[in-house]
Amino acid sequence: MYLVIESLIKIVVIIGGLMGAAAYLVLVERRVAAWIQDRRGPNRVGIPLTEIRLFGLGQPIADGVKFIFKEEFVPGHVDRLLYVAAPMVMFIAAIVLFAAIPFGTVDLGIAGWAPINLVVAPGLDVGIIYIFAVSSIAVYGVLLGSWASNNKYAFFGGVRSAAQLISYEIPLGVAILGVVLATGSLRLEAIVEAQAATGVWNVATQPLGLLVFLVASFAESGRLPFDLAESEQELVGGFHTEYSGIKLMMYLVAEYLHMIAGSFLIVLLFFGGWHFWGLTGDGPVAGIGVALVRIAVFLAKVLAVILFFMIARWSWPRFRFDQLMGLAWKVMLPLGLVNLVAVAVWIEYLRTPLVAAGLPEGLVMAVAGWLLLGVAGLAATAAAPSARDNRPDRSLVARYRDAREAR
Amino acid sequence: MHGVVFPLVLFFASLVGLAVALLLLGQFCGPRRVTDVKRMPYESGMDPIHPTRRRFDVRFSLVAIAFLIFDVELLFLYPWAVVFAGGAQPELPSGAAAAGRPPLVFAGGMVFLVLLVLGFVYDWRKGVFRWR
Repeated sequence: MYLVIESLIKIVVIIGGLMGAAAYLVLVERRVAAWIQDRRGPNRVGIPLTEIRLFGLGQPIADGVKFIFKEEFVPGHVDRLLYVAAPMVMFIAAIVLFAAIPFGTVDLGIAGWAPINLVVAPGLDVGIIYIFAVSSIAVYGVLLGSWASNNKYAFFGGVRSAAQLISYEIPLGVAILGVVLATGSLRLEAIVEAQAATGVWNVATQPLGLLVFLVASFAESGRLPFDLAESEQELVGGFHTEYSGIKLMMYLVAEYLHMIAGSFLIVLLFFGGWHFWGLTGDGPVAGIGVALVRIAVFLAKVLAVILFFMIARWSWPRFRFDQLMGLAWKVMLPLGLVNLVAVAVWIEYLRTPLVAAGLPEGLVMAVAGWLLLGVAGLAATAAAPSARDNRPDRSLVARYRDAREAR
Repeated sequence: MHGVVFPLVLFFASLVGLAVALLLLGQFCGPRRVTDVKRMPYESGMDPIHPTRRRFDVRFSLVAIAFLIFDVELLFLYPWAVVFAGGAQPELPSGAAAAGRPPLVFAGGMVFLVLLVLGFVYDWRKGVFRWR
């Protein structure tokens, strides 16, 4: 019975929190976009029937209400069952992933109560594999929706998006493997606790893994440098061209939640989760005050990563499709494998003698990691398949020059 | 085990409920004026020219096959990574639990990775990842 009540409270908090966060992050994103483009952004919607504007804080609520009250028509040419099922699949898969995101463990100090693990599914030993598996289900939502829509824009968008999602899942998995190797556990709690216990975050020791993971999670969430799936100028809306009303909202919220989930994972795997030096302590269980500080630190880090996602959106142009696939298979996958092998070699051959020689382990690992990042970056630049593909075709240039000289 | 799976099932069930509730909300709250133009596929205002479900580029299928291979191999590597880092102690055939890391686990993983990379190089040379 306690299990049911505890689970229900956690579920309500996480669903409510995510819905609110998604709505208000859209507002934050629009304000950030406005700030970057030197506009004002949405700042007028406040309390209805008054003149109070509240910096546009009413905007997300107005948007939600409008989504519900818009006409939601099903076009005549679609496959009805799949057309309705696809946004549900995407929406559910995007939220169910958060069942394994840990917020730390709190000891309320009440006699007879065990410490409460602030995660929807406590004791899930394979948290990372669970997240990895559930996040892949988004591909089904995209493909089903695009196929059921029976529309050319939706179909091309869906096929492109599916190819992109499955291609970037492999670098994502390889980058996670490096962290798993360094920690020896698939539980996200254990990964955070290992970083907290040593005080050395994985970003210091595995910057190459972070780079691969960051690029892959950008692509998985379909955000701007990689938003080929719905490149407005070519494909109207991509796979959700034929959707309207609340079904469109479910797709859009799901995409936003992918970005939020990516930010959570980046913080958990590479930026120490709830840990901050001298502020949160480093044991696994905390009292209620420290637990609140930990949650605040965790959410602040996640918010920082989300802001990075937003700023990146307005800083880079969109990739071309061949560049996108080339980056996944020819650059990110080899870099991820290099990171994996380097971590394995470090554990097998280098760690024991170096620690025996009296060197501080964290410092040596950090130096080795950043050296590896530099070497790998130089090697990738020297090989540079994408940069070479971008140059104008030499033979075409020569032919043009010859024709001009002949004239 | 019961305590692990139950919250997940509850979470999943409540999400299905939420999704269905949202869909029903949209069904009941919105206006409903169906016209012939709304029922047409959207093609930037032109009349649709041919059916959508025709043949498409085979390279998407090649990428899907390559993905299947690499994804399954990655799943093999996860338990290897845990065992390698000393997180799990498998039983030796003699019945004694292994002390520390089991023998040859590094070499085994590397052999597996070399085979993976060989397949990757073969794919690359065959032009699976070339997109024009």
